[in-house]
Amino acid sequence: MVGFITDIENMDGIAYYARPDLTLGAGFGTAISTQGGPKVQEALKKFGSANVTDVVATSGENLKARYILHAVGPRFQEEDSEEKLRKTMLNALRKAEEYKLRRIAFPAMGAGFYGIPLEVCARVTMGAVREFLEKAAELEEVVFCLRDSRELNVFQEHLQKMRG
Amino acid sequence: MAQNARSRKADKVVERMGRKLTRQMVGSLVGCVHCGMCTDSCHYVLANPDDPTYAPAHKADQIRKIFKRNFDWTGRIFPWWVHAEDIRTDADLEKLKDIVFGKCTNCRRCSLNCPMGVDFATLNRMARGALVSVGIMPEGVAIVSKDQWEVGNQMGVLPQDYLETLEWLSDELENEFKDPAARIPIDKMDAEIVYAINPREVKYDPRTISDAARIFYIAGENWTMPSEGWDMTNFGLFSGDDELGAAVAQRVYDRVIKLRGKKLVLSECGHGYRSTRCEGPNWSGKAVPFVIESSVLTMLRYIKEGWIRVDKTKNKEVVTFHDSCNNARSCGFYEEPRELLNLLVPDFREMYPNCAENFCCTGGGGAMSMSEYTPQRLKSAKIKADQLTATEAKTVVTSCHNCVDGLSDVIRHYKLGMKVTQLVNLAANAMMIPEKVVVPVEVPIPAVALPLAGFKILVVDDEPDILTFLAAVLEDQGATVIQAVDGEQALALTVREKPDLVTLDLSMPGRNGGYVFEEIRNNPEITSTRVCIITGKPELRRLIYERPVAPPEGYLDKPVNEDTLLTSVRMILELKHPHGNA
Ligand code: SF4
Ligand code: SF4
Repeated sequence: MVGFITDIENMDGIAYYARPDLTLGAGFGTAISTQGGPKVQEALKKFGSANVTDVVATSGENLKARYILHAVGPRFQEEDSEEKLRKTMLNALRKAEEYKLRRIAFPAMGAGFYGIPLEVCARVTMGAVREFLEKAAELEEVVFCLRDSRELNVFQEHLQKMRG
Repeated sequence: MAQNARSRKADKVVERMGRKLTRQMVGSLVGCVHCGMCTDSCHYVLANPDDPTYAPAHKADQIRKIFKRNFDWTGRIFPWWVHAEDIRTDADLEKLKDIVFGKCTNCRRCSLNCPMGVDFATLNRMARGALVSVGIMPEGVAIVSKDQWEVGNQMGVLPQDYLETLEWLSDELENEFKDPAARIPIDKMDAEIVYAINPREVKYDPRTISDAARIFYIAGENWTMPSEGWDMTNFGLFSGDDELGAAVAQRVYDRVIKLRGKKLVLSECGHGYRSTRCEGPNWSGKAVPFVIESSVLTMLRYIKEGWIRVDKTKNKEVVTFHDSCNNARSCGFYEEPRELLNLLVPDFREMYPNCAENFCCTGGGGAMSMSEYTPQRLKSAKIKADQLTATEAKTVVTSCHNCVDGLSDVIRHYKLGMKVTQLVNLAANAMMIPEKVVVPVEVPIPAVALPLAGFKILVVDDEPDILTFLAAVLEDQGATVIQAVDGEQALALTVREKPDLVTLDLSMPGRNGGYVFEEIRNNPEITSTRVCIITGKPELRRLIYERPVAPPEGYLDKPVNEDTLLTSVRMILELKHPHGNA
C-alpha cells in the first residue's frame, strides 16, 4: 500500500529503520516522536545503542500501533548490505513473533535516505517475509507501507515475480 | 594499487563520480586554464581576499585532481605532471565535504563568468552527491534529506499537520470574506491550477499561503492544493542526490496527473522552480504532460488580463529586489518578477549588480541548514549587505523562500534594519476587493470576541523590550499573558500556571531556551504545552529539531512583526492537533 506508516489503522506493530545510537532523528523518526510522545525515546535510552541487524521493541505509546520495532539496518553502501538487510528483517520478524504481534507494517527498509537500491530492498525484504511467514506461529499479516508509486511499482513487480 | 589503498567510502565516492560524469562535466574538468577571471565573482572570495582556498578554480581543482588520477589517462600515468591526486581516507572525504558544502553555495556566479564555459557549480553538486551516497554530509543536510525522503517534505511537516493548517487557513478566509466558497480546495479534480508550495510556508509563514488563496479567490480561479506531493522544493538539488531529486519531483507530478490538473503553479521559491520545472523531468526520466509555471507569472497574468485589480499605492515603502540565483542565473527568470513588482509598488530601486549577475543571498545551496558553516557564510555576506545598503530601500522583495531566510539572516547580522517580503504578499496587499465580495466592515470588536480571549500565554525573553512588545500584542487580542525573563523562571511558571502556549527565546543567559524546551517536553505534567520558538538565530533551529523530543509547534524569526506573530500564535492555539500532541 501507499500511505504514511504512523497513520495506518489496526497495526499491532510498525517497523522503524533505526540508527545504531537509537536516536529517533528525522523522517519517520519525527513522526514517531511527535505522534508517539517523548516516552518512546525515553524507552530507547534504556537500550543504549545497538549493532547493525539488531532489533529492539518499544511501546508505541500514543501511536496507533501498539509496538515499534526499531530495526538497525545497514546504511550508505556499507559492506555486505544485502545480507545485513536480510538479517535485520528476519530479526524484526522474530521480534514480532516474540511480542505475539499479528499484523505489522514495514516501510521500504533502507531505501531512500540510506541508499539501499529499491530493487534490492524489495527482493530482500519480501523474500525474508516469505521465508519467515511459512513457519510463523503468531504473525498473520505483513504490510509494506510505501511512500509513493515509484516504490509501489518496484514492490508490485517483485511480488508478481514471487508469485510467478 | 591506488584502488587497494582507498577506504571503502573513498572507493564508493570515486566509483560514483565515474558513473555521474557527463560530457558537460568532463568539459568543466578539463577546460580550466586558471586565468582567474571567475575569482572575484565569488562572494566567498570577496570576503576572504587573502585566502586562495576560496577561489572557484582552487575549489574545482580539489575535485579535478581526483578525476585526473582516476579517469584521465595522463593522470593515471603521470600523476605528478598534471597534479592528479587520489582521495584515499575518510579524513580526505571529510576535508572535501568542508569545501563542497562549506565553501560554496552552488550559486553559479563563477560559472557565468568563465570564458571557457567551466561550470564549477555542477561539479560541486556532483561531488556533494558522491559524498552523500556514503553518508558523509553536514548533519543538517542529513536531517532535511531524510525528512524529504520519508515524510515527503523538507521540514518534516506531517500529513495531518499540513491538512489541518490548510483547514484553519480556510476558516480564516471564509470568515474574512463571509463566503462559504472562500476556502482552499484540497484534491479537487480537473482544476485549472494545482498549487504546490514550500513547506516553510506551512511551518513558519502561513500568511504566504493565505495571501495566495486570497488572490486565487478574488480572481475566481478554479484551483486546488494537493493533499500529497505538495512540496515543490527539492533538496536533491542541494545535496546532489539525483535519486532524491527524481523521487520528489515524481511525487509532485504524479499528484497533478492523478488530479487531472491542467497546470502546476509553484509558489515563490527559486530552487523549487528550478528543480520542479527545469531539472525534475531529467532526474525522473519522464516527460511532464502539463504546464508548469511560477506563481509570479500567474499573478502577472491576472493583473494584465484584469482578473484582479491592484492599487500600488497601498504598498508605500521604498523597495529593492533580490534575485534568487536559481531563478535568475539558472532559469533566466528575472524580467517577469520585475514587471510584476513595478505593478505592485510605486518606488522600486534596483540593486547593483542585478538579474543574472546578482550576488547570492549566501543562504543558497542548502547553506541555511548547515549551521557548522554559519560564521563563514555570514562573513561572505558582506557584499550582499553592501548591495542592500546602497539601495537605501527599507524593504527587500524576493521571489524565493530560501532567500527570505538567507536575507533575513544577513539583515540581522549586519544590522541593516530592513524587512524582507515576497511578491505574493505585496500583490495580496495591493489587491482591490470588488464590491460583490462582502468583507467585514471595520467595527469595534466586543471584548468577548477577541481571538485570543481565554488563552493563557507565557512569553519568555531576556530582552525587556521584546517582552513588552509580545505581551502588548497578545494582550490586545484578549490573551492572559505572563512573562519570564530567564529559563529558570520560565520552567517554574510553566509548571505552576500551565499556560496554553509558551513563546520561547533561545539564547538567554543561564538556562537557555533549548534546555527549557527539552525540560518541558520531558516533564509529563507539562509535556503537551504548546511551544513557539522565537529567535534571532535561525541556525539554532537545527539544535531544537535535533533534540530527542517532540518538536515545537511553531517557530518565528526575530524581528517578529505583529501580523506574523498573531497568525502563528492563533494557528498554534486553534489547531486541534498541533503536531499530534493534543
Ligand atoms: S574563469 Fe574559468 S578558466 Fe578561468 S580560472 Fe575560472 S574556471 Fe578556470
Ligand atoms: S558557485 Fe558561487 S559560491 Fe560557488 S564558487 Fe562559484 S561563485 Fe562561489
